[in-house]
Amino acid sequence: MSRLVKKSPSVCTDLPLDNADICNKLRLMRELLGSCYGPTGRLKQIHNNIGGRVVTTSSSSVLLPAIASSEPFVNLIRTSILHHVRRFGDCGLFAAIFCLSLVEQAKQSGLRAKAVIRSNEHLASLCTDYLKQGGCGCKVKLDLCSGRDLVALARSVVSSKPACVLTEPECVHISRLAVRAFLLTVPCDTPGSVSLGQTVRVSVEGLPVTHSAVVPGLLVDTAEDVYLSQPCSLPHPLVLFSASLAGDLSELGDGLIEVHPRVDSDSQVLSQLLELGNQVVRDGVKVFVCQKVIHPVLQLYLTSHGVTVVERLGVTLMEPLIQLTGAQPVATLHSAVQPTAYGQVGGLSVRRFGSKTMLHLQACGESAICTIILCHRNETMLNELKVTCQKAEHVLRLALREPSALRGGGCTETHLAAYVRRQSKSEVPALGRGCSQTEYLRAAEAFCRSLESVARSLEHDGGTSTIDPTHAHRWTRPSDVATERRGVGAGCCGCGSLDGRETWTSAEFPPADLLRDASVQPGVLDSFTAKLNALQVAVETANLALDVRYVIRDVN
Amino acid sequence: MLSVKHLHLKHALQTVCTLEAVILRSFGPEGGQVLFTRDTGQAMLSCSGTQILKALRLEHPLARMVVECVWKHSAVTGDGSKTFVLLLASILRLIHAAASKAPGVSQWSTEAAEAATARHLADKLLAFAMTELDDLICVSVAPHGFCVSSEDFTTKTQLPSCPNGFCVQALLSSFFHTRLDYVHCDFLSGLACELLGHWKFQNDTLSFALQFLNDNFPALHTQVSGFPVSSSHVIEGQVIHRDFATPCLQVNNQPVKAVVVTEYLQPKLLRRGDMLDLGCGGRVTGEKSIIPFSAWTERSLESVIATLQSLGVSVLLCAVKQSAAALALAAQAEMCLVECVSEEELSLFVRLSGVAPISDCWMIQPENVATLTFCKPIQLGAHRYVHVAFCDSEERVGVKPCSLVICGSGEVQTEQYASAFQDAIRMLFTTWEPTRMTETTALKKPVQSHQCTSLNAHNLTEDTVCRSSDVYVLKPGCVIPAGGTFEFLLHHALLQHGRSCSASNYTNTGVGVSQILADALLTVPRQIYSHNLKSFLQTQTRVTSFTSNQPHHFMLLKNARGTTEDPEKGDEPSKLFTLDSGLESVSCKHQLLLAVLQCLTSLLRVNAVVRTHTALHSASHTHAKMSEESADDETED
Repeated sequence: MSRLVKKSPSVCTDLPLDNADICNKLRLMRELLGSCYGPTGRLKQIHNNIGGRVVTTSSSSVLLPAIASSEPFVNLIRTSILHHVRRFGDCGLFAAIFCLSLVEQAKQSGLRAKAVIRSNEHLASLCTDYLKQGGCGCKVKLDLCSGRDLVALARSVVSSKPACVLTEPECVHISRLAVRAFLLTVPCDTPGSVSLGQTVRVSVEGLPVTHSAVVPGLLVDTAEDVYLSQPCSLPHPLVLFSASLAGDLSELGDGLIEVHPRVDSDSQVLSQLLELGNQVVRDGVKVFVCQKVIHPVLQLYLTSHGVTVVERLGVTLMEPLIQLTGAQPVATLHSAVQPTAYGQVGGLSVRRFGSKTMLHLQACGESAICTIILCHRNETMLNELKVTCQKAEHVLRLALREPSALRGGGCTETHLAAYVRRQSKSEVPALGRGCSQTEYLRAAEAFCRSLESVARSLEHDGGTSTIDPTHAHRWTRPSDVATERRGVGAGCCGCGSLDGRETWTSAEFPPADLLRDASVQPGVLDSFTAKLNALQVAVETANLALDVRYVIRDVN
Repeated sequence: MLSVKHLHLKHALQTVCTLEAVILRSFGPEGGQVLFTRDTGQAMLSCSGTQILKALRLEHPLARMVVECVWKHSAVTGDGSKTFVLLLASILRLIHAAASKAPGVSQWSTEAAEAATARHLADKLLAFAMTELDDLICVSVAPHGFCVSSEDFTTKTQLPSCPNGFCVQALLSSFFHTRLDYVHCDFLSGLACELLGHWKFQNDTLSFALQFLNDNFPALHTQVSGFPVSSSHVIEGQVIHRDFATPCLQVNNQPVKAVVVTEYLQPKLLRRGDMLDLGCGGRVTGEKSIIPFSAWTERSLESVIATLQSLGVSVLLCAVKQSAAALALAAQAEMCLVECVSEEELSLFVRLSGVAPISDCWMIQPENVATLTFCKPIQLGAHRYVHVAFCDSEERVGVKPCSLVICGSGEVQTEQYASAFQDAIRMLFTTWEPTRMTETTALKKPVQSHQCTSLNAHNLTEDTVCRSSDVYVLKPGCVIPAGGTFEFLLHHALLQHGRSCSASNYTNTGVGVSQILADALLTVPRQIYSHNLKSFLQTQTRVTSFTSNQPHHFMLLKNARGTTEDPEKGDEPSKLFTLDSGLESVSCKHQLLLAVLQCLTSLLRVNAVVRTHTALHSASHTHAKMSEESADDETED
């Protein structure tokens, strides 16, 4: 017992939303995240106080963990959004901005917290019900048979990450690669429930982005002077060890072993290992892989017998390799390797990417394992590109479960806001004792304004955002300064399915159906599942934040 | 060396009023939540009075005593911690008022006399509550509520459309209102009903099921963050909160055979403290090499796996981490292995599957093999878990096991929902607790029987069915509309009791006691309707007019007499009272009152705080080998 300190009483903050300090922090967080939103979002550099690596990003999955606050109230909101990002991989900034502006609007409106909470909950269910129904004006059915929709979906994800610093053709290239890798992980002929394969990401620094590629099979790090046996007979048998082959015996227990000086345990164990190697060579194995370390003598023995050796594979690559080759990991050193444990490799070659030498293992038949090689000029951009590709893959997988997407570019938000405005005017629900009709109407207005403010956050170049009365889509009129820079978006709405030549006629809701004209496909698509969840999480988190009356901090 | 601080009534009052001020923020329909961070930095969100009070880490000894009482009470009933503080504060205020204007206070020590009067009053309050409160509640309050029997309970949970199904859900819903933000309460109470419906043991009482759920709740729920609350659901079988350690290859849907292993599959050659002597040839055990030992452990592992294979076992649930060789051999034998399963999950699995766990792998019997309908990986949030369902558990244990998946947007929220769920189960357990009431009433039966019948004669009908062997017993499962109904009714009954006592020329102290309790009770509804005084008066008028108009229509009696084959009658009072305010349990309220009064007496019995120099300091002094001077200094302090 070193030292006992008396517990000190907790620090208590009453009504956190009335606290100026907390409000400032929330506003700062909203401005910070809002300025990162969208394809023209501003980048943020994160560096810690002990001289760590500087990270340049605009992605919520990197930003949110980095901006931890000392204020538990702010952290509450932050972690909620972060959990959403971890589950769905997209729409994190949308959820964060929406949630924070809901809180801000509710505070500005001066309504009772309970009334706002009840109204918000009702409005959120109004939105989700509308989004789920078939005739929803901002939902687009995805055609999984054509690659076009998938590429559009992936491209929206890739282009919304400006920290990758991609040119237009590079952006298209990466989106195509993401879709290709996704398609390779879908197994071709499996009846019944399908389990998707795996994409392994390998990053290479210093090469141009266009050198990025997708290959079926696995790329494994290997020594520079890898020995490759001549292709005599395909497929090559492979053996995979999950136990260490360095000559240690770890499974004996906790007791002591007293070794007499004349006994040479090391050589005894080594001869046992060589015995194992001998058997493997006799069985005609061409590839010898170990998750952990292989004794150098054993390595030498194996290579001298024409076996390709890979050591220190790591636990993450074990499962893809097992799936790829059908091998079963071996961990017994004293008994012969069972013939059933051997796997098969369909192709074996050495590939070089920049400074990296890698062994390319291909499957014998069909396999849902592929590797995506991502190249970029420097490490920071490469890291962001890796995050982006991961998100794109996640979004594509979500689309497989629910083949729909939402119009991107802020059009969904403005459309929803218009819908909510109309609905709340036409019918006011009975929300019970806690909320009067006036309160509901004012809360609905605050809700719509928050949705529109999310759409407005997409614009960073000083342009003005407008909403058309027919389809309730979002339009941007660029300011004079930015005119030359914006080539494409000037004449189109946010999602790219309307152009400015139309004349606005009606103000009716539901608005005119866009899908009648099949040629009009939106160019910017958002993941349906992710956005729906983001909407719910944002409203739930905002409600929670409004409901907190006390913050008690244990300072021990 | 010692500092003695005398405690007076006003100190106690001050302390409790401060606690009350904290609690009021989250009390009632307008109350909000409290966010707190632990000393570990972990954030928690709560609306529960106990958790809020404990999080404050108070220093004042009286306050700590009150917190301790609240904590003990809510650990048992799971409910009423906020009302506890509220009632305590209001009783203390009334006692203070009564004591300060009590006649015969001598001049030399007003405070001592005050304290004495207060102590005396508190003792009498407790005595009154122990003897007569039971009957008052049984006779004047419980009849206005109705009984939800455990049979109703199961049928209604399976058929949510049935009108009676509303009762338990309403009870749970109003409980959740005191704990969570308003919007999800109905959804969660529906979920809780579904869970309870599944866990109703066929040949056991409801309280057994509730006790079982309470004990095994950690193993029976999974918290998933990142999803909205509405994604929470009940799933069949049990979720084991670990992933497969071997690649899970099996896809067939036949019954799966599983065993539970508590020890290492590969025997450990040497235990801690053992010593292996190598290279001393000549002795019997002397070996020249380590290799044979190592080979022996592997061979024995192989034979264990072979035995398991011959029994058709394809799933191994292990309590400990197994060796790499064990994993590899199990994978080769096409068995799935789950490592490091927690003890409580294993014991639940053993209980539900009805097999014994294996500790010695050489002794595997066919009786150790459990049969599962399936065993598959399940992705819940960020984690992959193992999902199992049991074959014919309905015939064997009489229950259809299921687990709860609680979703929320963050860990803070899921944690809160889970603790509210567990408290809800405790609250239901208290409501349906079978024996407790009978024991206490039987004990004090000779004391009160004549009084009770005399003074409540006008309120009693002869055919009281809640009467067992001449004692009035609160039936398990008695509920009453929430929103202050209990308090209004008891207030009314206490006033009448006081009047009849004074009429029958009882000693007038009894009047004072019941008057204090009656007035204190009104604080609760006053706080519930604090934002809307009009509805306070409306509710009070409605409740009192109901009691005076229909003194003989006892819903409880009807329902109980019919012994639950006419559940429609149980619903009648819900039409008289508006049910939108929800329901609450009578026995929880009763226990709450007793706990408050017990806390009150113990609080008022203390008259001084003695601050001792802690062992901490003296210990550090002796460690530092301080000389005698410092000890002298200390005494001079």
